[in-house]
Amino acid sequence: MAKADFVTSIVVILLGLGALVQSLRMPRFEHLQVDPYTVPGIVPAILGAVLSVMGAILLVRSILRGGWQIKATGFGGLIFNPATGRLAVGLALTLGYAAGLVGRLPYWLATAVFVFLFVTVYEWSATDNSRRRVMSLATALVLAAVVAVVVTMVFQLVFLVRLP
Amino acid sequence: MLEGLQLFADGLLGFATPQSIFNVLWATLLGILVGMMPGLTATLGIALMTTLTFKMAPGDAILILICMYVGAIYGGSRSAILLNIPGTPASAATTLDGYPLARSGEAGKAMAIATSGSVMGSIIGMLLLATIAPVLANFALEFGAFEFFWLAVFGIIISGHLTSLKDPLKGWIAGFLGLLAAMVGQEGIHAYQRFTFGYIELGGGLGLLPALIGAFGFAEILVVMTQPSYQLVKSKVGSVIPSPAEVFRYSRTIVRSGIIGTIMGIIPGVGEDMGAWASYAAARRASKEKARFGSGSIEGLMAAETGNNAAVPGAIIPVLTLAVPGSAPAAVLLAAMFIHGVRPGPLIMIESPAFVYEVVAMILLATIAILIFGLMLTRPLLLVLRVPRERLMPIIFVLCTIGAFSIASRVFDIWVMLFFGVIGYAMRRMDYPMAPLVLGLVLGGILDKSLRRGLVLTDGNLTEFFVRPISAVIWIASLIVILYSVGPVRRLFGRLAGGPTVDDKGAGSG
Repeated sequence: MAKADFVTSIVVILLGLGALVQSLRMPRFEHLQVDPYTVPGIVPAILGAVLSVMGAILLVRSILRGGWQIKATGFGGLIFNPATGRLAVGLALTLGYAAGLVGRLPYWLATAVFVFLFVTVYEWSATDNSRRRVMSLATALVLAAVVAVVVTMVFQLVFLVRLP
Repeated sequence: MLEGLQLFADGLLGFATPQSIFNVLWATLLGILVGMMPGLTATLGIALMTTLTFKMAPGDAILILICMYVGAIYGGSRSAILLNIPGTPASAATTLDGYPLARSGEAGKAMAIATSGSVMGSIIGMLLLATIAPVLANFALEFGAFEFFWLAVFGIIISGHLTSLKDPLKGWIAGFLGLLAAMVGQEGIHAYQRFTFGYIELGGGLGLLPALIGAFGFAEILVVMTQPSYQLVKSKVGSVIPSPAEVFRYSRTIVRSGIIGTIMGIIPGVGEDMGAWASYAAARRASKEKARFGSGSIEGLMAAETGNNAAVPGAIIPVLTLAVPGSAPAAVLLAAMFIHGVRPGPLIMIESPAFVYEVVAMILLATIAILIFGLMLTRPLLLVLRVPRERLMPIIFVLCTIGAFSIASRVFDIWVMLFFGVIGYAMRRMDYPMAPLVLGLVLGGILDKSLRRGLVLTDGNLTEFFVRPISAVIWIASLIVILYSVGPVRRLFGRLAGGPTVDDKGAGSG
């Protein structure tokens, strides 16, 4: 965790400093003679400064615990880790659907494709029994159709949402 | 007092319609199902349900959300007992004794204890809500800009500390990240657009509901899909009817846990999980059967389940009286109340006192529903735990996406959901709690306006922030919490108190 803390502390410091700098650049409306204590940048500047300080404390602590000793070879284990593989697949499927398919394909079709792919990709890799794989494909197909139809109908007809 | 009872009776009678009773039953049942399923939390359930109910009448929508809330916190005990995985973070303490009981063939008994604890906890919390909320609302009328500023600071500090006991710094970083995220968009005094970088969509700020759906829905889906699949415990379920003798035997534990749970609920951004942990720790200290704790103690299970459900009405107390959420699910409830035109806050007992007692009546109805479902539907409901996550999670993600979109029919809100989901996943993996982040998002606006208004009122003189009596109490309390998290100071406190200091378990969020 010290290594993760080392990296996140740098991110937090940069974020805090970025917020601080942006806040100081915000207008102070002197020409409108507004009260200087109401200027928009005052609170975000304080928040940015406090975040930077907390990030710095985390950084010092992680350095004292040896968190700076990140080895390049460690990334190989991370990349080929089964959990990382499952995460990458999950991210690709979900982001591909929400940020890629939705809005480009008709909503029902995008949803059906996503549900079918999600179930198939995860269940396919979970077994090497061809009979179970065929069953899984059939289930995915039925589930995709049902979810796409039900969600589309409910949101469009019951909740009167104009689907993306 | 009599007026309160009258309003409560009116509220209860108002819900004595077939439509309301139907809403109570399906919403509580859905809440139990959401709570049971690992990966679906009370926060997500209420957030998704808010998107589905926002065209309903306010009374119906809030009733459904509260039933969902109470049901989900109770439902989490099922998977905690049978899978050793808390269905919601609120049931983490339930696994300690619930799962060993299930493994020793007493799953039915464990679920009966969980039902009786949850019902009793809800009732104690509900009674405290009915008595404390009016008093607190009257007291909160004294609050001005200075007090609200410190309340926002205290909320982040105490929430960051209690939801990340092993490392409060991470809790505070999460809280301040939430506060900073709340700064995005048009500010309320000069209508200046902060941190929008030219994007028109950011002008309205980051929507709380899409952010919560991302942090508690999408992030949780990613967590669940990276974990190995879970196994139901092989145990006979047996009778799920609680024994009155057992409930009576642990009546002291129930009352103590109910009060502790409610208090933990009242503390901003702390919530049901800490309600359970604190009740569990207190029960262990006071128990004559300390050795059984952690290996199948009925008393431990009763304490955890009473504590987490008592925290639900507890978390609603600051929502109603201060417009500050006691927990992450309560933050969604607060957002839903604003959407429906209810204005919670110090004026609630003046503007709409009946609403407070209507909420009490809603909690009572939800409690009756969990009792009915706990006694009658335990076995059929367990079938839900057999649904493979590979088939459940894509459906949940479809609902997360359309739920985020449907609030304002903006594709941008889907992006907000995805952003908070990825950030939430990364933060969770690195042990950052989610509750302070949510609280920061809610309190950011209050902190911003209160500090600037306070500075204007005093012409930049900070003394007033520190010397007003209520302000002084809140900032000193915040300082004590910060100092207590510093190792040497904590040890000094421990020595002064004459006992060893204990590092309790850290907790997640709603």
